[in-house]
Amino acid sequence: MKKISQELDTELLLYLDGQLKDTAREKIVLALQQDEALRQRLTQLEAMESSVKNNFLEIPSKNFTHLVMQKLDQYPAQPSSFNMLNGIWLLIGVLLMSAIATVLVSSGVFDQATGTLDLNTVKLPSLNLKRTLPSIPIDGKLIINITILLNLGLCWLVFDRAILKPLFRRRLQIGR
Amino acid sequence: MTNDPDHILIDQLLAGDREVYAVLVNKYKSYAFTIAQKILQNRPEAEEAAQDAFIKAFHHLASFNRESKFSTWLYRIVFNTAISYRRKNRQQFQSIETTIIEYDQDADGMLEKIDKKKYLNQAMLKLSEADRGALTLFYLEEFSLEEIAEITGMQANTAKVRIHRARLRLADELKNILNHEALTL
Repeated sequence: MKKISQELDTELLLYLDGQLKDTAREKIVLALQQDEALRQRLTQLEAMESSVKNNFLEIPSKNFTHLVMQKLDQYPAQPSSFNMLNGIWLLIGVLLMSAIATVLVSSGVFDQATGTLDLNTVKLPSLNLKRTLPSIPIDGKLIINITILLNLGLCWLVFDRAILKPLFRRRLQIGR
Repeated sequence: MTNDPDHILIDQLLAGDREVYAVLVNKYKSYAFTIAQKILQNRPEAEEAAQDAFIKAFHHLASFNRESKFSTWLYRIVFNTAISYRRKNRQQFQSIETTIIEYDQDADGMLEKIDKKKYLNQAMLKLSEADRGALTLFYLEEFSLEEIAEITGMQANTAKVRIHRARLRLADELKNILNHEALTL
């Protein structure tokens, strides 16, 4: 079938919409009489318009209004961009890091990572302190253990948001 | 004093008679749902998005400045809500064949209508969400080009060109789908 130019396509749509001026309309009518491909394209466009116009309006469920009125006090939460795939990757990453940290802690890598932070050795030029500052003990193993614990908390949160909630929401939708 | 019936209802709502909102929801739910459904192509999600849009509109009624029609303002909220739902669930694919369709027509007519609707939905899916939204507003025949531009947040000229191109593309996609269907029969 002959390819219809974009300009002719545009003219055909305007013709269908009844928006062509007299001379332009006469021109397209003449072209339609002479060109089979153009007539076929017009038929396609007419079929599309008729199909769209007759099948366009969607009817919501019967209890739509009731549901809106019921939820009127619950302001909808903003949908977050946090999706299942990203959540699973984040979960895998956090679990992997926690596992590595646990292995390192249990093999004693951080056993010697202890020390004290003596604040008196820190140079603070603008302050004129008379009292001696305390020393802060640092336990590397404890810090890593706390980090692992926080990561496990994060894992649970990600698992809940990325997997459990969407899963239950989908089940609810299927059950409706 | 305004004579717009929607504005009178809004005044009653703002005065505390919240049951009046059901009248507005009933009046605009089909169009609101159609806009959401055409953008999302997923019936449960579209229902949820349209309901959320109505609830958001209710909570922001006081900020509706009445320079445009209530419907234009509402459909802009529906449009934006549906677009954000779409972005949220971009990776969650649901085949349109699994979409539940409710009709009251007789069985034969219903099957024919479901087929036509299915092909139309398939063709619509080939368009971008913005094209689908603009096209929906165009075919609902309720809005001027300026109103479509306002709802979709585009310039009027951009909306005009977008609708025009989307109509031609939709005709092509429908033709391709029907040709394919004819070949696989």
